[in-house]
Amino acid sequence: MIYLDNAATTLIKPVTVAQAMLNAMRSCASPGRGGHRAAMRASELVYRCREQAAELFGVPDPACVVFTMNATHGLNIAIRSLAKAGTPVLISGYEHNAVTRPLRQLGAKLLIAESPLFDREACLRAFEERIGGAELVVCTMVSNVFGFILPVYDIAALCADRGVPLIVDASQAAGILEVDFRRLGAAFVAMPGHKGLLGPQGTGLLLCGERGEPLLAGGSGSDSLLQEMPAYLPDRLEAGTHNVPGIAGLLAGIEYIRSRGPDSIMEHERGLLRTAVSQLRDCGGLELFAGPEETQSGVLSFRMGGMDCDEAARQLSERGICLRSGLHCAPLAHRSAGTVDTGTLRISFSPFVSEQELNGCCKIIKEMLN
Amino acid sequence: MKYLIMCKSLTNAQRASLLLERRGIGAAVVKAPHSLRAGGCGYAVSLYRRLGEAVSILKSADLLTGKVYLRREDGSYQEAAADDLSR
Repeated sequence: MIYLDNAATTLIKPVTVAQAMLNAMRSCASPGRGGHRAAMRASELVYRCREQAAELFGVPDPACVVFTMNATHGLNIAIRSLAKAGTPVLISGYEHNAVTRPLRQLGAKLLIAESPLFDREACLRAFEERIGGAELVVCTMVSNVFGFILPVYDIAALCADRGVPLIVDASQAAGILEVDFRRLGAAFVAMPGHKGLLGPQGTGLLLCGERGEPLLAGGSGSDSLLQEMPAYLPDRLEAGTHNVPGIAGLLAGIEYIRSRGPDSIMEHERGLLRTAVSQLRDCGGLELFAGPEETQSGVLSFRMGGMDCDEAARQLSERGICLRSGLHCAPLAHRSAGTVDTGTLRISFSPFVSEQELNGCCKIIKEMLN
Repeated sequence: MKYLIMCKSLTNAQRASLLLERRGIGAAVVKAPHSLRAGGCGYAVSLYRRLGEAVSILKSADLLTGKVYLRREDGSYQEAAADDLSR
């Protein structure tokens, strides 16, 4: 099996991730729920993960690192904290349903900064043109469909200049590209733990520049007489028992990222992208969505002639290739790129994808086209 | 003498305790005695010496968020006085 669906979930993790999870299951109780050894061990582990994440992303206070179930959970907290029915919210043309659905559900007024694929200048211009009417900006750092790296630091500077709060979706960026919370100056940055951070499913992080409004209410192990959620982070946004084994795995993933360095991971994925593009570019009947190198991360979409993308993915799966097909939960991105009627096939990389595996995948794609 | 520095949250207590440890002051996070918590459950940092220095470190890092108590020999607690902070 060759696994190239890492933009959905990284399957191959550092061995330390599963080990840490098993150790946590065997030795850790629940943080903030007692003073005994097993509870304190859990508290220490959870705090270590907050601290490591804070250092990786430049968050000044580990208390502002909130654990979530996934990026969608974090984005829902962030959006519901800053938008309500009728709030004009400016988003990029490459947002995931994790952004657009909560906004629609709230009844926010959606403004879309539409721009062509891989054109960072046009993307920034679109934000400049439309930000005047916005009370909130939500922007992804990287398109999950096309790997398009949006000019989010420029958009953040624009938001700061206009006094408009910013929510960043770092789902495809965390662990791969620099996510500098201080430099972004964002109200919130949401990310999953199970993609580039190499943790397990069911984990995510919300970096908070604001206090936020709880999506869930319940026990926090603090201020129990109060019938409102505590006013302070992280307790305010972390109702209920933590996913301690998940957080242990996430900590191991983050430690791996920090020891290897996101720059080195990005370089590895860029190398794989170059290989894929050079091998597939001249294949008749194959349409690649590749941009200038600096505008694309380790995610590559393509269409195979007139073949239905889901049928092509099924055939590739029979040959041992795991990739994603369809709209990737991001119809808006497909509308922006003109692929909403067909969807695309998508391969996506991780630190554990080898050149050899990618060559194997490209060979099979070529055979199918022939 | 055992001292307790009350904290607004577990994370706050962990941050405070680690900071003190890094400055060479032995400290540990403990569940705060129920009688000292007006709002219900909570955590504190416990230490046995260098209270004044610890309080000053936490103050300057904006981590001093609760009252400071000393534990009497009979197990009861009393709020630390200015004199205690010089210890």
